[in-house]
Amino acid sequence: MEKNHPINFHLNSVGLKTLLTDKMMIIAYLFLALAAFGVIEMIYERYFLLSATAFDAGLNPGNRDVANAMKEAVFGHGGEVKREAPWSLYIVSYMYMIYVGSGIIFLVAMAELFEIEIIVKPAAGFLTLGLGMLFAGLFTIMMDLNVLNVHWMLLSPQYGSGMWLMMPLYMVYIPLVILEIYLILNHQKEWIKKVAFMIIVVGVLVEFVEFYVQAKLFDMNSARHLWTTYPILPLYFMVSSFAASLAIMGLYAYLVCKSQILMHTLERGALYFVLALGAYEAIAYLFIDKKWAEIILFGSFKYYFYLYILLAVIIPFALLFKHYLNKYFKLVASLSIIVGTFLGKMIFVYGGNAYPMSDRFGVGFEKYGEYEEVKEVIFFMPPLSEIAIVIGSIGVILFIFRVADLFFSVSVVEDKN
Amino acid sequence: MNYAMSLDYQSCIDCKACEVACKEENGVQLGADKQRIWVTQIEKSIFGQPFVALHPSQCNHCLDAPCVDVCPTGSSYFAEGGIVMTDKDLCILCKGCMEACPYDARFVDDTHVAVDKCSFCYETRLVHGEVSTACQATCPTKVRLLGDIDDEESDLVKMLKERKFYVLKEEEKTVPKLFYLLPEHDDYYAMNSVDPDTKIYTWDTFKPIIEKAKAKRKPQWKKIIL
Repeated sequence: MEKNHPINFHLNSVGLKTLLTDKMMIIAYLFLALAAFGVIEMIYERYFLLSATAFDAGLNPGNRDVANAMKEAVFGHGGEVKREAPWSLYIVSYMYMIYVGSGIIFLVAMAELFEIEIIVKPAAGFLTLGLGMLFAGLFTIMMDLNVLNVHWMLLSPQYGSGMWLMMPLYMVYIPLVILEIYLILNHQKEWIKKVAFMIIVVGVLVEFVEFYVQAKLFDMNSARHLWTTYPILPLYFMVSSFAASLAIMGLYAYLVCKSQILMHTLERGALYFVLALGAYEAIAYLFIDKKWAEIILFGSFKYYFYLYILLAVIIPFALLFKHYLNKYFKLVASLSIIVGTFLGKMIFVYGGNAYPMSDRFGVGFEKYGEYEEVKEVIFFMPPLSEIAIVIGSIGVILFIFRVADLFFSVSVVEDKN
Repeated sequence: MNYAMSLDYQSCIDCKACEVACKEENGVQLGADKQRIWVTQIEKSIFGQPFVALHPSQCNHCLDAPCVDVCPTGSSYFAEGGIVMTDKDLCILCKGCMEACPYDARFVDDTHVAVDKCSFCYETRLVHGEVSTACQATCPTKVRLLGDIDDEESDLVKMLKERKFYVLKEEEKTVPKLFYLLPEHDDYYAMNSVDPDTKIYTWDTFKPIIEKAKAKRKPQWKKIIL
């Protein structure tokens, strides 16, 4: 491709036709179309679905909209968010994308620090992939929030809130990653040498703080003992995220770099984290609140939990422990870890909500509605809009990565130092 | 001023008048899941005979409320009088407060796309100088009693000095201010209506807990903006 050189930077000339017809872009557009469908549904549900207050009926007697809203209140789904389970798939996806994306960035930064050549060569591609995951996570969480009021994060900051702390963290972290990619792509050896170390140190600090803050956020929610009794919660986030990060990097090595050696190196790393994850889960359930441990290990969540352990730990262990040369074994191991660790996050969030808040009086489970049965475990299927947005967020990763690749050739593996 | 409420739950007849009055007076969103206050039904049995235990409940206006700590915009805040309030205009719907609340007292008000909860009828009553709530005023069996626990001469404190009580989920250390009065004259019923591990308090044993929590959090009490 022809190269332009704006501000000493290599920019490929890419036509509109390429942007529209490139195979990977088409896949990204399909995912984004699904996300757009979800967003439209979500906006309708959240901002336009009729709802009525007790005043409306008195102020607008006979109004058809009020009548429909009252009908919705009695016979409808009861709104977008359930009181008993406020967090669902949005949070699962956000956590997964953010942790795994920043895990990739962390590992690449470490590889640069210690000059691990095999990872440094495709570093720009890995970092762009990690950045894409960060944006996918942020996209998901923005759809979960009331975007009309998000500006209050800036105008009314609460410095002690873990949720608020995430914002300045990303405002520092994302530009750092972009700068890092820029330096790698720009072949500026001296600048890389001078600036990279500082960026990596700050990046490492930011990532540890990020893991800590995310864990703290859950740890503050004292109502949900599954979360607060997980021993050393940041460790869980780190171990499961690094396992998934290495698996995704392995998948990238298979699909983009087509490098068996790189894939092998990454899968070896994944194996250690998979083992650590298995060990962590085995030990963690000795400490977790008995009520939660019971429903997850032996109750309603047991099949999900065993599937999680099977996919995230047992299958990858079986496939990676012996040095099988078959690349498909490694591919299956990667996919298994990716799906398994996502399921693990689902169990974490849904499980945290599952044990009823409704045993508040300590004498038994409450009925939530006059005509409802007593529920001992809370579980709600997320609405279709939420599922569409979460699956569609994969399109954000593909779109960012492919656009960056078309314009800046981030996936080209070469010795940039 | 430090508002709190006692609940003589043994007197509840599940007429739902409190739920209706709350919705009507505060303009709460309609819907079974959208409640600032509610009466909990717990189905139990003794010797095979079923019965339903009734526990009216709402926001506990905890002195050490975790919902305030997690809020990233200050939408949830401690207000003068020790009331935990929500400013719907600041709510970004992160739902952290709903997760953090051990009492499941918050819900999403779809009409404002924000989290809502009991305010002890601040907007409709307390701001006008009344010391009562809609649920209290309408209750035919006088289950609820709102009052100032800083005032030793208030009806509420007098009641708490006479009756034993317990609070919900005290292990969360939120220092809740809904005081569930232990049933009188029937020790057997009284002890069956609570968990055996529930700690039963007298005013003298609970007052130091309140004072300690208030000293910690009072600097955060803000003027209420309506």
